[in-house]
Amino acid sequence: MIRRLLIANRGEIAVRVGRTAREMGIEDVAVYSEADAGAYHVGQMADAVSLGPGTPRETYLSVPRLMEAARRAKADAVHPGYGFLSENAGFARAVEEAGLVWVGPSAEAIEEMGDKVRSRARMRAAGVPVVPGSDPHAVSDADLVAEAGRIGFPVLVKAAAGGGGKGMSRVDRTEDLPEALAEARRLAASAFGDEKVYLEKLLERPHHVEFQIFGDRAGHLIHLFERECSVQRRHQKIVEETPSPALEAALRSRMAEAAVEAGRAVGYVGAGTVELLLDEKRNFYFLEMNTRLQVEHPITEVTLGIDLVRAQLEVAAGRTLPDHWARLTPRGHAIELRLYAEDPVTQLPRSGEILDYVEPGGPGVRVDAGVTRGSRVSLEFDPLLAKLIVSAPDRKAAIERAHRALGEWVVLGVETNRAMLAAVLRSPEFLSGRYATDLVSRLPAGESPEPPPAAWIAAARAFGGPGSAVRSAGPAGGGPGNVRDPWGEASGWRTGA
Amino acid sequence: MRLESGGHIREVRLSADSATLDTASHVVRGGADGASAEFLEVDGVRHRVRAARRADRVFVWCDGDVWEFSAARKESAAAGEHAKDLRAPMPGRVRKVHASEGESVVKGQLLLVLEAMKMEHAIRAPRDAAVRRLTHREGDLVEMGEVLVELSEPPSGS
Repeated sequence: MIRRLLIANRGEIAVRVGRTAREMGIEDVAVYSEADAGAYHVGQMADAVSLGPGTPRETYLSVPRLMEAARRAKADAVHPGYGFLSENAGFARAVEEAGLVWVGPSAEAIEEMGDKVRSRARMRAAGVPVVPGSDPHAVSDADLVAEAGRIGFPVLVKAAAGGGGKGMSRVDRTEDLPEALAEARRLAASAFGDEKVYLEKLLERPHHVEFQIFGDRAGHLIHLFERECSVQRRHQKIVEETPSPALEAALRSRMAEAAVEAGRAVGYVGAGTVELLLDEKRNFYFLEMNTRLQVEHPITEVTLGIDLVRAQLEVAAGRTLPDHWARLTPRGHAIELRLYAEDPVTQLPRSGEILDYVEPGGPGVRVDAGVTRGSRVSLEFDPLLAKLIVSAPDRKAAIERAHRALGEWVVLGVETNRAMLAAVLRSPEFLSGRYATDLVSRLPAGESPEPPPAAWIAAARAFGGPGSAVRSAGPAGGGPGNVRDPWGEASGWRTGA
Repeated sequence: MRLESGGHIREVRLSADSATLDTASHVVRGGADGASAEFLEVDGVRHRVRAARRADRVFVWCDGDVWEFSAARKESAAAGEHAKDLRAPMPGRVRKVHASEGESVVKGQLLLVLEAMKMEHAIRAPRDAAVRRLTHREGDLVEMGEVLVELSEPPSGS
């Protein structure tokens, strides 16, 4: 039995895990760095403990600080969320050695799947197809150049310890390879502390489809269907849906079987995700396995009517998966939109304060948010603000609902990728369901449309014209940002200092 | 006042019951409706509107879309496609230069790749133009706001 759960994360995922814990009668305990003491997730839980001052590396990414927090919180279990230390075998081991329940797979499974070179070899041995790539023993530039010739260009240079698209680059010609390798090693060393890189054949216009799998200690291992994750930019997912419009029944069941096989090869326990690439000839390949909850897990939850976090907590406490989970079938269609704090043109992360926030609601709408009105958005952390998850009886209705709910969503004060999400929902390719990972790059180039007259007038009023009824900037109202008022005078404006 | 949003610039004049955008005049009625959203009636059409201001920026949610406004500077270097100088959006390293001085480029063409915060960032031509000057070579470190590419003058009249 778990009584008190330390949630070693922040943002929307910490809030989401806490909700299920409380439903199960488990006390949820937040952690926070000092700079993050006012963050939304901290106020949402039964209790909260500080990780002290410092950067994310010294706080949310510090095993000793988190273990100390777990001790002070008198927690008997730790949920790592996603990102941060969720795929860190050392953290999993430390939690278990302290006699606490680790809500995740074994440290061995994390290690096995975390090293992309090793996991590829393991999958090949288990009969799971993998993307053609360089030999695990090829490490030097000369070896890798020879391997690239064998695999055939274009190739992707990838970090062995990588994930999330970091340190990944496309190379089309032999002469560009040494430079790309040096660059990738440098990025890999700084992002993952491991400079090992390898090559993979670059599949043109692939689909990115992943399967949720789940195992328990009694040896059950099942799949919970797929999520289509091809709407990406910079190898980062922004829109996911299930079922995948790219799969028909026979292909779906072959891919699902391969995903379960991949999990079985490492004796997987808990929630995991097997990412597969599907090429234009309908061949599929193992890409990687994520040994944690995925950002996009809610679309599986809403189409299957299950709670994956509840199952994680139950399996971690030693229970078996519910029998009927092996017979689940998805109902309807679900779409997730990820809202990021970012410059809509450059797509670089932005910081700021959420000045106004209203969540959409109504039938088939779920919002997993990590912010609310007054929240500060810092460049130190992942720029994901919140996720909108919609479900409906069919794909067309789900897209219409996504439009409607996205429109209702008021998030003001920091720039976001909202326009890009709307553009994806509007694009003929997305509507047809026939799209691949190049969808975002094919969206009409960033012509910014002109705001309607009502928006210009509302803006002018907010700058202090007649009839101004300005929502105050944040809950504190008169922050430093409100004092200076260079545009208030009717005589026109002068440039701010 | 002169406002800017996504490269568009408008002179907006407000009075109690009307507004002028550049030369077009609109009848305006509106106020808080007491519930969640404010409404604004422009030429008899009702719009749902929320606005939030922080210092020199205003964010507006209007009928489901969000727009950001700032006060337009007289010589707007940041005015999107009219820009003459393309500047580094954040500190970083020039990873690749794809254009050469004197080259004619088309809108959207990749000119340079900047690596910043472990990400690659493409600097593209905001309009059809000639590359007048490239200020950095591959490998150079640049500060935020530093000019990376100087383009020919934009066509006049904007």
